Amino acid sequence: MSVTPSRVPVTVLTGFLGSGKTTLLNRILSEKHGKRIAVIENEFGEVGVDHQLVIGAEEELFETNNGCICCTVRGDLIRILGQLMKRRDRFDYIIIETTGMADPGPVAQTFFLDDELKNQFSLDAIVTMVDAKHFEQHVDELNEPAEQVAFADLVLLNKTDLVDAAALERIERRIRAINGTAKIHRTKNADVAIDKVLNVGAFDLQRALAVDGAFLEPEYPFEWGGVYQLTPGDYLLRTAGEHDHHAHHEHGPGCNHDHDHDHEHGHTHEDLDVVVLPLTAATAEALEAAIEPAVRAFAEPATVVPCHGVLDAAPSHNAIDISHPGADFGLTIDKPGAYALFCEHHPLEFGLHLAGQRLVAERKFASHHHEDDISSIGISDPRALDPTKLNQWLDYLLKTRGQDIFRMKGVLNVKGEDRRQVFHGVHMMFDAQAERPWGSTPRMNSLVFIGRGLDRAELEAGFESAVAK
Amino acid sequence: MAKQSLSFALEPRASASFDDYVVDVAWSPDGQSFAIAGGEGKVALARTGADSLTVETVGEHLLGTLSIAWQPHGAVFATSGQDSNVVLWDGASGKELKRWKPGPTPTQALSFAPTGEVLAAAAGKIVTLWSPVGEKIHAFAPAATSAVALAFDRPGTDLGVALNGELAVHRIEKSRYETRRYKWPAACLTVNFSGNGRFLASGMADGSLHFWNRSTGKDSQMRGYDGRLELVGWSDNSRYLASSAGNEVVLWDFSGKGPEGTRPIVLNGHTERVDSFAWQPSGEHLVSAGRDWRLTLWRPAKAKQPIDVQMLDSDVSVVRWSPDGKRLVAGEKQGRLTVFELVSR
Repeated sequence: MSVTPSRVPVTVLTGFLGSGKTTLLNRILSEKHGKRIAVIENEFGEVGVDHQLVIGAEEELFETNNGCICCTVRGDLIRILGQLMKRRDRFDYIIIETTGMADPGPVAQTFFLDDELKNQFSLDAIVTMVDAKHFEQHVDELNEPAEQVAFADLVLLNKTDLVDAAALERIERRIRAINGTAKIHRTKNADVAIDKVLNVGAFDLQRALAVDGAFLEPEYPFEWGGVYQLTPGDYLLRTAGEHDHHAHHEHGPGCNHDHDHDHEHGHTHEDLDVVVLPLTAATAEALEAAIEPAVRAFAEPATVVPCHGVLDAAPSHNAIDISHPGADFGLTIDKPGAYALFCEHHPLEFGLHLAGQRLVAERKFASHHHEDDISSIGISDPRALDPTKLNQWLDYLLKTRGQDIFRMKGVLNVKGEDRRQVFHGVHMMFDAQAERPWGSTPRMNSLVFIGRGLDRAELEAGFESAVAK
Repeated sequence: MAKQSLSFALEPRASASFDDYVVDVAWSPDGQSFAIAGGEGKVALARTGADSLTVETVGEHLLGTLSIAWQPHGAVFATSGQDSNVVLWDGASGKELKRWKPGPTPTQALSFAPTGEVLAAAAGKIVTLWSPVGEKIHAFAPAATSAVALAFDRPGTDLGVALNGELAVHRIEKSRYETRRYKWPAACLTVNFSGNGRFLASGMADGSLHFWNRSTGKDSQMRGYDGRLELVGWSDNSRYLASSAGNEVVLWDFSGKGPEGTRPIVLNGHTERVDSFAWQPSGEHLVSAGRDWRLTLWRPAKAKQPIDVQMLDSDVSVVRWSPDGKRLVAGEKQGRLTVFELVSR
């Protein structure tokens, strides 16, 4: 009888304290866009601005599945959303702001809770604001900033005017390492076109996998490779900064203190994995040819090289201790020729360089290998899946790993099905449906998992178990 | 031959429009008027005649009215709103008598004790008791979670509070307060005392219905609802517990050994979600209504089929019987209010 009205889109806005959420909200509310927007905030005190409405929420969580923390939704939100629907003219848009420390999971999951909510609202995107100035510090000290990035469909890298270009590159790489699929927009003072933030359709199942193409490229255990032309002799690999001997190294000459002891004193011990390899020539092509041997070297156990230590002769896998600024490491070259240096992270992050030597060629590599325990794993495979086995795998995966998998999305090639099977999930809750027919496009499974401590081998084995025989 | 049983039907008597989404209505004890809560915040007073209905907007809660209750045996009604205010209104003139904020958060639920002497208000984690003139009687210690629903038992000595993880039942006896807790690890959305005092029921956010035998403490769970269970109500004679989380109304029969292990009665008469139902006071009829614009009359003890269906003009958001059980009002999303009379034919 009644015509089902279109669903009201919802944007979840997260971000650490001071990242600029309020500035963005104020921009959205004050701009003339003709939309009736309701904002649900984490503070009390309610203000109606013209046609806009701002309502306070209490962040009250409840578990929908006895004791399972990944089946947690926001009770207060359900009540407020219900109240917002009790209007003859509905709102065009709802924005939910979470507190700086909040886990965006329960907010997003609320929209998957039942058909009533699914029919009334459509989750448009999770937008995470990142404070470029403080992100690196926060992400090292706390869990929340990385989790908020992991959940994001869209990251607004804000306050870009407060840091230099190298830092921005570094932060973006870090964000990309955590979340391989989020779009990243750089902003100053939260200044971004509203249509880049609202109605982006990230949860739209049709557009579920508009994934950054680079994400599905092969990944390497290193982010950078550089070429040097060297003559026999001793070289120094250095990081940027002044080495302050007294402040950090009280344990005697050569800094050969043990690392456990170091930890007890509260130092952050940081290793950087590097491999030095001889090349056939000082060219980009020769560097290309060295990728395979470099990957093999990275797969070998690393030798830890303390500050002022000497790297093992090439080719071998070294983990250099770059905990302190101005660290240096010896490198002895016996034969003249071209050499490649492969680094786990881009050397720019540490100002790492081979003292006095000119870089002949270099190349960046896609790497998701990072010290953050949250990462993204993509699987791309054309083989058709067996629907029963697929369900068994996903069922098992979510039961055993649902807590660690923050986001999961995919387009699947299911045997006997002419249409693309599309799914989208937050923790254990997900939505799946058949979308457009494949038609003449090649059938291909594309899956993305974003989560904590993800194991690529485990996911690939699971995928393999679902392939139709 | 005389008829074996009377057949009943609903006849529309009068309708009027209200300039807001009808969230809820509360009848006056004499059944001559009812108060209306609007989703955008309007509060109105409707006066009924034999074939007439007039609606007068009397005031407003900024950003939406959340709850409405009429004082039993009395002449005032109370509303609460998203603006955090509770307002007492004169039921005859519609004049605002008192407006106050019981706490910083909006009052989600209001309930008068059947005696009419106490008004309970749930604002976030805090439940407070007020006199009918708005003087504070008592504030309970804050709960661990927000209270989402309130109900008194029939004698008015027990106040049930729906919380996340439990129903708290406060015994209110001459300024002495004791609390008994009925725990279940899910969010309780409703609190429903059976009229005979034997059972306490709650609709749950996990799509189940839970009930406790109040003398033995034994609890039972009924599963299988499509989603959050927000509509639960006992028949006046405590025989049936009705519930709905979709297009069907599901009845559990508490006669004999009770509903455990039995299949419920399923009332199928709607093609869209049921948003409201109400049991007839001092009677056996049930009305249900919702998004299919239908008002459906049932008499479950006699038939599992609807005994009458009336079409309205838009989604029906609420149905409420008059206290004598002879009339009922249906309120719609678009603001229309229609009074029906239950007639025999």
